Amino acid sequence: MDNLRTPLSRVRLWGSAREGTNTFIAQRLTAIALVPLLLWFVAVVIFLIVKADYVTFVSWIRSSWNTELLILLILVSFHHAHAGLHEVVEDYVHNEIIKAITMVSMKFLVIGIAVASVLAVLQIALGG
Amino acid sequence: MITAHKQPLSPHLQIYRPQLTSMMSILHRATGVFLSLGTLVMAYWLIAAAKGPEAYQQAQSLLGSWVGLLLLFGWSFSLFYHLCNGIRHLFWDAGLGTDIKTAYTTGKLVWVVTFILTALTWLLAFSMTGGG
Amino acid sequence: MVQFTLPTDSAVKKGRIVNKLDGVKNVKKFKIYRYDPETVDNPRIDTYEVDLDNCGPMVLDALIKIKDEIDPTLTFRRSCREGICGSCAMNIGGTIGGTNTLACTKPIADINGTVKVYPLPHSEVLKDLVPDLTHFHTQYTSISPWLQTQTQPPPDREILQSKEDRALLDGLYECILCACCSTSCPSYWWNGERFLGPAVLLQAYRWIVDSRDEMTGDRLDNVEDPFRLYRCHTIMNCTNTCPKNLNPAKAIVEIKKMLVRRR
Repeated sequence: MDNLRTPLSRVRLWGSAREGTNTFIAQRLTAIALVPLLLWFVAVVIFLIVKADYVTFVSWIRSSWNTELLILLILVSFHHAHAGLHEVVEDYVHNEIIKAITMVSMKFLVIGIAVASVLAVLQIALGG
Repeated sequence: MITAHKQPLSPHLQIYRPQLTSMMSILHRATGVFLSLGTLVMAYWLIAAAKGPEAYQQAQSLLGSWVGLLLLFGWSFSLFYHLCNGIRHLFWDAGLGTDIKTAYTTGKLVWVVTFILTALTWLLAFSMTGGG
Repeated sequence: MVQFTLPTDSAVKKGRIVNKLDGVKNVKKFKIYRYDPETVDNPRIDTYEVDLDNCGPMVLDALIKIKDEIDPTLTFRRSCREGICGSCAMNIGGTIGGTNTLACTKPIADINGTVKVYPLPHSEVLKDLVPDLTHFHTQYTSISPWLQTQTQPPPDREILQSKEDRALLDGLYECILCACCSTSCPSYWWNGERFLGPAVLLQAYRWIVDSRDEMTGDRLDNVEDPFRLYRCHTIMNCTNTCPKNLNPAKAIVEIKKMLVRRR
């Protein structure tokens, strides 16, 4: 069916979406934010958590700023991961139905896990 | 044009020479996808900690097993590679270092820094646990 | 899912050894992609031997010699033989794979061992080394590659441009649209139907950045699209392979920067 369209009709198709720049900016902003957050996280994992027992771990999470930084890290990294995965699906999945299902379930999954992680941190930080 | 055989598609991946730039690009994507899977483990670890001391201990010993350590090693390498190469990408997006000579120099630099950071991380981690 | 392998009707078969040279000192082997649309056969790789002592220095010289002296059925595009027309763009390499370049400016001496010659990658092949570039050229048409103004130009002189503004076109106007870069780009391989590719985006930027043009905003609108522009992931194959040493990756980065700045 598409073969009977003229080449220009195929190229112009539905026109430009005039979109993509915000996604592009968000991916870069989260990337920039992740540089210090991840360096902090790795340092924490090495120095605190490798041999930490439950009590030290919990008290570390509860100490000032750590809760905030950890939640920030979770939100930003899930946002960034989703942006990247979204791009991968856009690149490789061409079947419209499979693409729609993948994109929607991916989004739900990412948000679900992010929320569960944040709740876990809050539970540790606030719970007794 | 009517032909006896449908116009073939010329070879692409099969014949195109792998280059430092293109290989680092696909590795950036691969490490990114692998790190996305790593967020699942981070979530599991936090949720286990929220559940209580036993679940937390279980998670810690699971991550401390051979398979766990191997995966953690993979994630640490992926993290540092993706981080360093990501910074390289940010410079490109700012319009800096897009010429081939600089792109190759920074590409090699990314490898060096990735290896140093990965090695440093594990040396420190093992020294913290007293030789593990 | 994108197909990373070749379709069965495009799989490359073993071909013929067309000629063998005896008693010649300086022999170079050429393995060349062949496809004849008048048969039902799949593409194949034919092997030729060329006496380099009686051949010009470039890969195109060898191809012309093969066509003249060994096998007149070998088909390829060529015209200027000096890197300005872009006709003889193809994939040329040795044992570790090839890169896209112009056969007329690629020295045979650059390649160790057997020279392998393929058409531009991931293109529909019309015959042998001749790809169908209709889609590529139509994409070029779609960015309106000409100066667009509404202000009537003065009747007695050209539209003026400062030296600095003119300098912005350097590294862009030299593009000969040979399609080497676009057909080297994996993103263009997988999404070429909608992604404009490095060559056309470099050309788009050439008009976006031209101070004499009055349609800059519309031009930016036209490319601001997840597929037309943002399939570029700065893989750099384009810049790595451009036979004119231009930098399409940089041109695309500059378009993205302008789109961010106008937000």
